[in-house]
Parts: sequence; C-alpha cells; structure tokens
Amino acid sequence: MTTYDADGITLHKVRDYVWEIPQEGGMRAPARVLASEALLDEISDDDTLQQIKNTTHLPGITKYAICMPDGHQGYGFPVGGVGALDAENGCISPGAVGYDINCGVRMMTTNLTYDDVKGKEEELVDSLFANVPSGLGGGGIVQGDAETVEQILARGVEWAVEEGYGVEDDLRACEDEGRRPDADPSAVSQKAKDRGRNQIGSLGSGNHFLEVQRVTDVFREDVGAAYGLEADQIVVLIHCGSRGLGHQVCNDYLRKIEKEHGDLLAQLPDKELAAAPAGSDLAEEYYGAMCAAINFAWVNRQLIMHRTRRVFERVFDRTWEQMEMELLYDVAHNIAKKETHSVDGEDRELYVHRKGATRAFPAGRPEVPAAYRDVGQPIIIPGSMGAGSYVLRGGEESMDLTFGSTAHGAGRLMSRTQAKQDYWGGDVQDDLEQQGVYVKAQSGATVAEEAPGVYKDVDEVVRVSDALGIGDKVARTFPVCNIKG
Amino acid sequence: MPYELRDHTADVAVAATGATLGDVFAAVADGLAAAMCDEVPASGERFDVTVAAESREALLFDYLDDLIYQRDVRGVLPVDHEATVERADGAGGEAGETLNGDGENATEWTLSGSARGVPLSEIYAREIKAVTYSEMDLSRTDDGWRAYVVFDV
Repeated sequence: MTTYDADGITLHKVRDYVWEIPQEGGMRAPARVLASEALLDEISDDDTLQQIKNTTHLPGITKYAICMPDGHQGYGFPVGGVGALDAENGCISPGAVGYDINCGVRMMTTNLTYDDVKGKEEELVDSLFANVPSGLGGGGIVQGDAETVEQILARGVEWAVEEGYGVEDDLRACEDEGRRPDADPSAVSQKAKDRGRNQIGSLGSGNHFLEVQRVTDVFREDVGAAYGLEADQIVVLIHCGSRGLGHQVCNDYLRKIEKEHGDLLAQLPDKELAAAPAGSDLAEEYYGAMCAAINFAWVNRQLIMHRTRRVFERVFDRTWEQMEMELLYDVAHNIAKKETHSVDGEDRELYVHRKGATRAFPAGRPEVPAAYRDVGQPIIIPGSMGAGSYVLRGGEESMDLTFGSTAHGAGRLMSRTQAKQDYWGGDVQDDLEQQGVYVKAQSGATVAEEAPGVYKDVDEVVRVSDALGIGDKVARTFPVCNIKG
Repeated sequence: MPYELRDHTADVAVAATGATLGDVFAAVADGLAAAMCDEVPASGERFDVTVAAESREALLFDYLDDLIYQRDVRGVLPVDHEATVERADGAGGEAGETLNGDGENATEWTLSGSARGVPLSEIYAREIKAVTYSEMDLSRTDDGWRAYVVFDV
C-alpha cells in the first residue's frame, strides 16, 4: 500500500485519487482526501489535514469526513470539506457550514456570442460596475424594510419573482426552486436582519465577483445541449452569498451553542466546531435560521442576475428575452442539508455539511430539476480571473464516494497578505487586459488579493473530480469582463 | 505597532499585544480595521461600544462581532479603538486567572469603549465577514497580554 507522509500525518492510498487518514485517538471515523499527488502536496502545505481530522471528532460523523481536491485551511472545518452527520444521533455545526451561508454560484446563459461583445467590453464592465452594488457600504439593489426582510427569509426567490425581479422560469432552474421550505425567519436575530436590510442585492467583496464569460469548450455535447451551452456563447457567472445577515446567523448560533452545549464542545479539538446535538432546540433553531439565510442568499443572486439583464438590455439595445438570458442553475457551496443517503444498505437521514463543496447529484435523483434529471445536476466551478471556470454534471460515483458532492472552485494557495506583497493590482489588471479580460474593482488591493497566481490549478481540481466520477466535465468558460468589490 | 496582520491561506489573522486586557482588545480591533482599509482618513464621529460576556475569550469574540455589526448598520469603518475590560464583580480586568462561571447565564466580564466611525462612503474598504474562534489565543505575557484572532474574509 502506498502512503503519503505529511508532517506527522500519514495518508494511505485507497485507490487512485483517494487517500485515507485512519481513525485514531478521538476520531470517530477515518478522514479521506480526494486528490492527485500534485494537489496533495498543496493541501498538506497548511493545516487542512489537521482540520479534516478534527472534523471526525463530531458526533454522528458517518463513513468518513472528506476533503475535496480544492481543499484548504479554513476556520475549524476546512474549506472543501464534507461531513455527513447523523440527523438523529449526531449534531449540526454552524462552523462546518461557514459564515457565508449559501455562498454559491449561479450561471445565466445568453444567445450572444463572443463576437457580439468584442469592442463593447469596457462599456459593459463599466455599466455592470456602476449598477451592481459591491464592496463595503455600497448598499443593495433593494432597500428593504423589516417586512421585506421577513418575506425574503420566508419565501426566497418566490418573493423576488412576485416583486418583478425575475420570472417563473428562474424558479425551475434553482435548487429547491429557490425556496428552502424549512426556513424559520423567527429564528434569525434582529441583529442579523438589521445587517441584511441594506445589503439586499449586493456582491460584497473578497473573492466574490460577477463575470461575463465566453464558452471555450464543450466536452460532453449531449449534456451541453441539455444545459443550453455551446462553444463561443456568452454566459454570466455570479458568485456571492448571504452577506452580513448570514454571517451574523453563524456567529449568533456559535455563541448560543457554546453557552448551551459546553459539554459537547469540550470534546472537540477546535472551538469553531461547536455543534448542537441533533434533536436539541438549538439544532432545530439553527437549521431554521440557516435555511432562512439560504433563501436570503438566493434572493441576493437573483436580484443581481436580474439587474445584469437590465444592463445587457442597455448595452446591447435588445430585451433580455431576445437575448434569451436564462438561469442555467444556482449552486450553494456553504450549506448543511438534511438529506437521505444509503449507508451500508440502510437509508439514513443526515445533515450533510458542505463547506466549500458543491452538491453533485447524478442523473435520476428526484432532487435534480426535471429539465436536467436525465443528465445530472449542473455544477458550476468558478476559477480565477485568469484561468476560467467549469460546468460539470453530477457524476455516477458521487452518492457512494462523497454523499453527492464535489469541489467548489480552484481553492486558495496563497494568503492575502502574501498576495499583496507579490502582486500589484494595476499590473494584474493590465496583464489580464492583454488576455482580453476586463476587470473593474473597488480597490487595487482586491485585485491583487485575487490575482490568478494565488489559486490552485482549477484544471487539475476538475480533472480529479472527473476521474473520480463525482463531477464530470461538461464545459469550460473564460472570462471577458469581471467586476468585484 | 501593537498589532500585526499574519498570513492565513484564505483568511486574515491579527496578532496583538497590550499592557492591559483593554489595550490588547483595542489593538486587535485596530488590526481588524487595518485588514479592511489601507488608508484611513481622520474623519468621522466617535461612538460608544459596550459588550458583556461570560469569559474573556467570549468577550473578545463578542466585541469584535459587535464592531462588524456596527460597521454594517452604521455604514462606518470603526477605527482608533479604546477599550476598558473589567470583571463585573469589580475585581478588575487584571484579576483572576481563568474564570469558571458561577452559573451558565452569569455575565462576568464587561467592556466599555469607543471607536471613531469613518463613513464607508469616504473610503475603499474590503469586507471582513466575521470573527472566528478558530485558533483564538488570549494569554498573559510578562508585559501584559497577547491575542491571536482569525477573521473570515
């Protein structure tokens, strides 16, 4: 058996791209890392492996904790981590979902081609930047009152469509049709609601962005056709989450759980893993609050998408319907969901925590929207500004290997402080423009922190996902315009 | 400078020192502001900050959480922090080693302080999403206190 030694942690090769850290000490299950040796070299370079080991201390951890090919060090639970915790005898952990509840990505297709956009890139990037709120204190597309926030938390994208920020078809292409039925707005604190009020329809900053892209490759024609993707087509990708409202929900419950369930916390190796036992009041309340924050994030991306349609109408002087600007799909990559999975031949209800990981359900699953059920769920994997992004579909092996999950992006390689020393925003912007990528950001520091060189090789991440059969390569895109906070 | 920004793969960490608990708390908060904004103008009004919690670490967490909350609802970047930390029983911030709460709802530690709120409309600031407990350290040194806090970006 081949082993890989990483600074005191030994991984055993189970098969190609599957490595296991055996159960020992307080671990309640083994941990698995899905990676090539090249990616494992990067994953083992920070505290990711220790963090994935730590997550196996959570009660109810089922089969094994999993680190995706793009995994990297996070807080408590690593980014790129999947942990399925028993929903009857296990627990639910806000830190294992992440602060940015339902941070995710949606892709909108168009019938425009790259030739239609060439020569208009600057006008388009300027107009998007002027019309889509970003950064700190940039406000939102909607300035909501208390009742608006309640409606969004309870009803998700249904509210947006009713208010004219979208159409019925948008619901059909969104997970859960854009509304999490378990949402409980009363479990969301006033503080969280106050933070959300002036951020409804805003990108935020950090690694969040809106990108106009061109499809460069379609690897699986049949699936590409089902998704409405073809070479040279223009698509729009939106990456953001639940803003301050979601961040506050996470912290509120982290603190409540710390006070209420200190006995469980004392058994865990990292305070950030604080978890509420399944069946406890706090587990129910957090689940309801998290689901409400999921709705908020969906509305956030919906409003930005609809605003983007308006910008395109102005720039291209056609209606968005004429440009067939349709939602392809919306994926969440910071989420915990109660799902039923087959474990050792038995159906079990689990809180599947995906933090920096994407649901990747294969063809035939009832949760996949009808339009895609025969080919599998679309998965959107954003890459860096210089490397492009991928569309995958849920692979046949995902249910067995990863509780129906795959990677969520390229994964960071370099710290933000290091990035600012190594890169200067203006240079990065000029280099990208030479490659035909027009970037506009609130500050040069953001561009430097998000320079293509700070990310792992997205091609390698996707190659491993495809080789494992958890998420199959469908298409690749390359940026044309990018705005960020 | 009593704080430093430290490398972290995805996020930002602040290491800080201070002669008193109040000083080290304020220094971490100054580090949080520095992580969001490189050049801070001298504008803005001061506002008061009051926090109470069951332990020193929880107080640090709640203090930083409150500053991020104030940033979003006031639309300002809190800078130039001042803070005084005390045990609610009046023993003072420097007294006692570790605290074992008398009851689960007992509030034992309080912070009273202030910050200058620079309007976000006047600056380019990057968002720090939240304070985390991950790898948090708050400990005594020969000269006072040191703290290490990871923030989610």
